[in-house]
Amino acid sequence: MSVHVPVRIGPAEQALIGQLQSAGASAAAERLQAAGLPTRKVESYHYTDLKMLLRAVPDLAVSTEATSEPAFRVPGAHRIPMTNGGADISGQMPAGMVATIAKGSALTERDDVLVRLNSALAKETLKLEIRSRATQIVHVDRRTEGGPSHVNDSVHLFVADGSKATIIETFSGTDEAHVSNHASYVAVGEGAELTHILLDLSGGNATNFATAEYHIGAGAKLRTIAIHIGAGLSRFNLFTRHEGEGAHGDFTGLNLTTEGQHSDITLEVTHAVPRCSSKPLFKQIARGRSTAAFQGKIVVARDAQKTDAKLMMQGLMLSDEAQIYSKPELEIFADDVVCGHGSTTGALDEDSMFYLMSRGIPQTIAESMLVRGFIEEIIDPVEDEALHLALEGVVERWLNP
Amino acid sequence: MTTPMLEIRNLHARIEDREILKGVNLIVPAGQVHAVMGRNGSGKSTLSYVLAGKEDYAVTEGEVLLDGEDILGLDPSERAAKGLFLAFQYPVEVPGVATMTFLKAAINSQRKARGESEMTTPDFMRAVKDAGRDLHIDSDMLKRALNVGFSGGEKKRAEILQMALLKPKMCVLDETDSGLDIDALKVVSEGVNALRDPYRSMLVITHYQRLLNHIVPDVVHVFSDGRVVESGGKELALELEAKGYAGFDEAAA
Repeated sequence: MSVHVPVRIGPAEQALIGQLQSAGASAAAERLQAAGLPTRKVESYHYTDLKMLLRAVPDLAVSTEATSEPAFRVPGAHRIPMTNGGADISGQMPAGMVATIAKGSALTERDDVLVRLNSALAKETLKLEIRSRATQIVHVDRRTEGGPSHVNDSVHLFVADGSKATIIETFSGTDEAHVSNHASYVAVGEGAELTHILLDLSGGNATNFATAEYHIGAGAKLRTIAIHIGAGLSRFNLFTRHEGEGAHGDFTGLNLTTEGQHSDITLEVTHAVPRCSSKPLFKQIARGRSTAAFQGKIVVARDAQKTDAKLMMQGLMLSDEAQIYSKPELEIFADDVVCGHGSTTGALDEDSMFYLMSRGIPQTIAESMLVRGFIEEIIDPVEDEALHLALEGVVERWLNP
Repeated sequence: MTTPMLEIRNLHARIEDREILKGVNLIVPAGQVHAVMGRNGSGKSTLSYVLAGKEDYAVTEGEVLLDGEDILGLDPSERAAKGLFLAFQYPVEVPGVATMTFLKAAINSQRKARGESEMTTPDFMRAVKDAGRDLHIDSDMLKRALNVGFSGGEKKRAEILQMALLKPKMCVLDETDSGLDIDALKVVSEGVNALRDPYRSMLVITHYQRLLNHIVPDVVHVFSDGRVVESGGKELALELEAKGYAGFDEAAA
């Protein structure tokens, strides 16, 4: 016999339940009514107790024009604005790329509250299909505009067999108490190469959630970079799946937090087939009273022999009040694999500081050189010079606000 | 009498609860090269760190005057800008910081602290190329992250390159010979000798006499149990080599 303890439903949950019911998603509404938002008792939200952290959810967004300035510009990139969930594909698309709009969300069903909300509430999906090795960068400029709004938007990216692309998605908008819940479905075809960047530049008053699921074909090479800078409360859900032999994934990220922020990156890498490799590398830097959390799990299926996977997490604490959490995990069902994980967190290395200062470099400059050096490993692999510089620029502004 | 380049008066320093320097007295006049020899654990390296201002050590007594100015209240970067340079026994690997970026930051920080204008990029590139040539340092090495993946010899040559570029007036060389084979030792010593100058002094800290065949000192100091126990000419180094340090322990006791 099971005992039902009624869950206390707070105002954020009440608002979400109402929105789900209005959207006709009665199952999702009932589920939320029964379970509430995840607390720290739910393993995947252990460091990000949404029930406690998400105090209010504004009304669902209405379509509007973008009023804020783009938070990020990449010279030479093709920018597609996506405002309060609606994409503008009226412009001329780059050669080799087709943009369409489809109904509903792009995400695969999954036991995760953010996925359920996006699946129920996203009205449409921007679909980009790339069949080319053209080098023009695509920038999906996802913004939440106007007064406090709850946005659920969705993007589906398909890089066809043998194609090559660099796609950056940025999250920004007015600095209001928004709740933005973004979705990206990314499919990388056989032998294709993709660099996919998710960059949060939301305002400090905003909550930003972003779920990305990756499906990687045989022989494909995927590099992902998830960067948190802006939102006061942030969660990245990254789900990757190697689906064809010989696929390689460099899953990387930078979780930068400052006074008052709470940011969580949760990664689940699934090796479903043999002879694939993945190298997750995530770095977190926390200063002020802030919290940065990273959970990374590598799952190797029984059939995924010869998997080569190495998960690394490094944290840098820049203040005594900062908190950094890190939980690497391996779940291996195959017997012939090379898998490992490591995690280190600490303050700036004192020996390095002394060495730089002993050459005449003042303390504050030495510190920022070391922090920049720490970050560089994540940004360095970005080949395009303009994009590389632009990324360095936003990080630099975080370093020296 | 002219002001000595370095004057250490009754210097006491400790790390945590352990006293390591127990009253060091040492004077290095301008333009001279002095050697400090002592067995492992005698406090030689601690002396170099205390001079450079490493935080782990607490100075409990005494003074250190650089060109007449007390530097103990200054942080390591301020001491460097005043002209003090420590060539590390174990140069620190700094991932993510390009060697060239570091060199430029070091040169320009020092110039800025002294109220001089920054070095232009072409002048900087030329200076690095010129200084690197004699030390057999190629541009590939300079493109790498600071000291990362450098061999033992490359690290020591990079230290001397920094010394040549920063033009300090007081150089402290901590066990610069450690980890060097005979060819590398020659290159490094030649680099050091090329920097000898009537306005530049050096304190060469070493465990072995062999370095002093290449960098010939004006004065040799024997260090034991945290202080200088004997000073003399370069022949003192040979005497040490022959008799070992045991003969000097009594003087320290």
